[in-house]
Amino acid sequence: MPVLEIQHLTKRYGNITAVDDLSLEVNAGEIFGILGPNGSGKTTTLGIILGIINKNAGQYRWFDGDYAQDHMARRQIGALLETPNFYPYLNALDNLKIVAHIKRAKQPDFERALKLVNLYERRKYAFKTYSLGMKQRLAIAAAMIGDPKVLIFDEPTNGLDPQGIAEVRDTIRAIAEEGKTILMASHILDEVEKVCSHVAIIKKGVLLASGTVGSIISDQIQVELAAEKNVDLLQLLKQQDFISEIQQENGILRIMVDEDFSVAQLNALAYQNGITLTHLVRKKRSLESEFLEITGN
Amino acid sequence: MFHLLQLEWKKYKNYMPFRVMFILFLIIVPSMLMMFKSFGELPDEFNKEDFFKFPTLWPYLGYIANWAVFFFLGFVSVIMIGMEYTNKTLRQSVITGLSRRQFFLSKFSFMIAISLVATIYFALVGISIGFIHTNNVYYTKVIQNWDYIPRFFLLCIGYMSFGFFLVVWIRRTGIALFVYLVYIMFLELALRWLVHMRLFSHRSMLFYPMNATEDLLPIPIPKIVEEMAKEVKFDFLLSPLEATITTIIYSSIFLYLAYRRLQRTNL
Repeated sequence: MPVLEIQHLTKRYGNITAVDDLSLEVNAGEIFGILGPNGSGKTTTLGIILGIINKNAGQYRWFDGDYAQDHMARRQIGALLETPNFYPYLNALDNLKIVAHIKRAKQPDFERALKLVNLYERRKYAFKTYSLGMKQRLAIAAAMIGDPKVLIFDEPTNGLDPQGIAEVRDTIRAIAEEGKTILMASHILDEVEKVCSHVAIIKKGVLLASGTVGSIISDQIQVELAAEKNVDLLQLLKQQDFISEIQQENGILRIMVDEDFSVAQLNALAYQNGITLTHLVRKKRSLESEFLEITGN
Repeated sequence: MFHLLQLEWKKYKNYMPFRVMFILFLIIVPSMLMMFKSFGELPDEFNKEDFFKFPTLWPYLGYIANWAVFFFLGFVSVIMIGMEYTNKTLRQSVITGLSRRQFFLSKFSFMIAISLVATIYFALVGISIGFIHTNNVYYTKVIQNWDYIPRFFLLCIGYMSFGFFLVVWIRRTGIALFVYLVYIMFLELALRWLVHMRLFSHRSMLFYPMNATEDLLPIPIPKIVEEMAKEVKFDFLLSPLEATITTIIYSSIFLYLAYRRLQRTNL
C-alpha cells in the first residue's frame, strides 16, 4: 500500500530549481532513505510534503488519499525536520503535551516516548536547559507521540557527537523494528546503508536512481590484488570465468566477484600457478562508490 | 475553536512575558486612575470628583485604559505571535498537524479571549470605583455611558490586530515591536499632520487606522477646548460611531492580510 506518492514535484526559488520534476513512491513498512549531497533538495522535498513550503508544480498524496485534508494526514506523521523546535521555557513533558494536543492523540503515552529517548529523568526541566543531543532526542520522542504511521527524519544525526549519533541511530532502528514506515533524508551514505531498505538518490533536485538498497548497491564485492609481476597475474585472472570485471590502476588490479566468493581461493589459485601475491584485500563495494558513480563525481 | 483556545492556553500560561504584560495591564488600569486622588489642585476645567464617580468616570478610566491596552496588550499580541517565529514553533506546529488556517484561528480566538477578559476587568474596575465614590447610586447613573465597555473591547481588538498584522509580515518580534511603537506614536501623527494636512486640509485626516482606534476612548477634552474647536470648525476627534466603524474596517483588513500572509508564506 502506498503511504506517500510524489508526482512531478517542482519547487523553484528564483532561478534555482530546488526540486525538479521529482516522482517517487514510498510503501508501508519501508525504511526509505533520500540520499543526496547538501543542497540537493532533500529538505525542500520534505518541507513540501509536510506543508511548510509551497510547491510550484506537481502533487503529492498521503495514505492513498484517506484523509480529506492535508493537515489531518500530517497528524498521522511524526517528523523531525532539521533543528528540533520547541517552546524553550516549557519542560519536555509540557512540550510533548502540546504536540499531543495538536495531533488530537488519544491517551498519548508520554512516559514510553520519554523513556525511549532516555529523557524521562529530565522531563521536568525546561527545554532551553537541554544539550543539543537531548533536544534532538526530544524531537524524536515528539515524533513518536500519537502512534504515527509514518516517521520522517531529516539529517537526524546532524551536529551530534559520536555518542549522540550512536544513540539516535539505535533509536531509529528500534522504531523500525516496530514495523513503522520511515522516511529519512541524509547526506551520510553510511547512515542510509546501515538503516534503510530502500533508497532514492537525488542531486540538484533531480532523482538519479531509486529502488531497494540491494538493487542500488550491487551484491558483488571488489578484491584488490597485486603481485611481483602483474602481467602474469592479469593473464591468469583473465582466464577465470567467475570474475566479472578487471581494472588496473597504479600497479593494483581490481576485480569484481560474487559476494560469497572466498578470497582464500584466489590466493591458492595464484600460488598453484607460481605467482606470489604481494597484496590481497577484500572490499565491499559500498553505497558510497555507487553514489559517487551515480552522481558523477 | 475551543480546541485551539486550549492549545494557546497550554502554550502561554507559563510564558513569562505574557504573564508580566497582562499583570501590568491589570495593575495599571485602576492605579493610574486612583493616582489622581493624590494630585493637588487640577486646572479649573477639571472637577476632580468627576474622575471617580458615575457616570463621568468612564471617559477618564477609558483614556487611561486606552494607553494601557496600547502598551501592554498590543505588546502581548506582537510578542506571543513573534515568539512562534523566533522559536520556529509555527513551522513545527504545521508539521505536527495544524493547518495554517487553524494557526490563524488559534491566535485570533486567543486574542478575542484576552480582549474579553480585559473588557470584563475594565467594566468591573469602573463599576467598583464608581460605586465607592458615588453618593447616590441609582440604576440610570450606572448604565449611563455603558457604551464605553463594548468600545473598550473593540479598542483591544484594534491594537492587537494591528500587532498581529505587523509581526506576521515582519516575522521578528523586536523589529515588529519597534514598528508598532514608532508607527502609533510618531509615524501616523507625522503622516496626518505633516503630509495629509499639507496636501489637503480635511477631516479625512482623522480616519487613519490607529487614530480611529485611539478615538474609541479618546482623551477627555474640557468643555472650553470643545467650544473653541467648534468656533474654528475643526474636529479633533472622530465621533464614537465613526471611530467604531473605522476601527472595524481597519481591523478586518489587518486580520485578513495576516491570514493571507500566513497562507502563502514558506515557513
